[in-house]
Amino acid sequence: MTTADDRRERLLEAMLDVVGEAGYAGTSIEGVLSRAGLYRQSFYDNFLDKEDCYLQAYDHAVEALEREVGAATAGEGEWRARLRGGLGAVLRFLDQRPDAGRALIVEVHAAGPRAVARRDREMERFARFLARGRDAAGDGAEPPSIAPEAIAAGIHSVVHARLAMREDGSYSALLPGFMYIAVLPYFGIEAAAAELQASSA
Amino acid sequence: MDSSAAPDRPRGPSLPRAYAIRSERERLLEAMVRTAAARGYEAATVDEVVAMAGLPRAEFDALWPSKEACFLEAYDAVVDVLVAHVEAAYHSSSGPWPQRLDAGLGALLELLAAEADIARMAIVEVTAVGEDARLRYRGALDRFVGFLDAGREISPQGESLPADTARFAIGSVVAVIFDEVRAGRGPELPGKRRQLLVALLTPYLGAERAEAEARALGEA
Repeated sequence: MTTADDRRERLLEAMLDVVGEAGYAGTSIEGVLSRAGLYRQSFYDNFLDKEDCYLQAYDHAVEALEREVGAATAGEGEWRARLRGGLGAVLRFLDQRPDAGRALIVEVHAAGPRAVARRDREMERFARFLARGRDAAGDGAEPPSIAPEAIAAGIHSVVHARLAMREDGSYSALLPGFMYIAVLPYFGIEAAAAELQASSA
Repeated sequence: MDSSAAPDRPRGPSLPRAYAIRSERERLLEAMVRTAAARGYEAATVDEVVAMAGLPRAEFDALWPSKEACFLEAYDAVVDVLVAHVEAAYHSSSGPWPQRLDAGLGALLELLAAEADIARMAIVEVTAVGEDARLRYRGALDRFVGFLDAGREISPQGESLPADTARFAIGSVVAVIFDEVRAGRGPELPGKRRQLLVALLTPYLGAERAEAEARALGEA
């Protein structure tokens, strides 16, 4: 017995998996229904069209990731520990569901302006979090040599490259490098090098 | 002067057909770049491209099955030009790595500033085309990895420097360039040379040394 909520959830997950495999342009509502094992009516009970389904799937995935990040960083007050927990949660998600990651991070650019606006909003949030590294580094910290937006874009670029080229190896193995790169402009090269050693140990 | 007295223009043998085809191809590719930059990829039509090239539509259809196929070929040609330009500047300097990198970066920014259509087509419009174009965009960015990874040899991190450092550095700089070009500020890109050089050097050398190198190069 499936409830309406179950069906919606199955469609949202199927949407991301199919988009990650076939690309947004190559995704059809029929393909999503067949992946979810549901009949046509269940799609139109929940969504107006393909774009609406993608946007709801995007929001749903971001909310789920926020809960993961929240759980991974619960009780951590320190910026570096929170960053490590948050990035770690995102990378674990990519290890578990690389196709969903491709749908969210690569194919979002093909899904229209409303999707791109969501993506821009998430990038801004990430940059705002990174910017707080300057406060965390303490009084008198120099302005960073790389703007937080550029650090966010650089980390995004590494993930985007791997997903787009389908170099699905271990995304979690990227964590020490990301910590090195994000900590470097705020805490200096020695603290950054320690992140490389610590997270890879 | 009596024109009938003018000597006949020297005439060589007529150009081979292959040459004429190549030349039409190039005119159409350039028109594709200009049209996609001016109108945006989505809005640009094949009819506008052939009108700008001054060629009949049949010429286009004989060369490409679609607007996208033509765009992708034009994109590859533009990327070849950008990479060759950076490569020439990078190797024209015999100084240490930061200096060569600065030369390459400067050349790239100058070219993008001077060629607004190339900048918009190759950096902004390409992201709107589709999966094939996004893969090529990715591949194009990876062609710049070698210029960056020469820095691994002088990085204090040595072997433990993350494998994706070049992709990170390139991604952070391209994001800035993308925003500037999209906002129509491409011509001001050379003014960002020092800031972008620091962003490229920092992952390899640390912020302090990156700033010092960029300052020294700026004063030189």
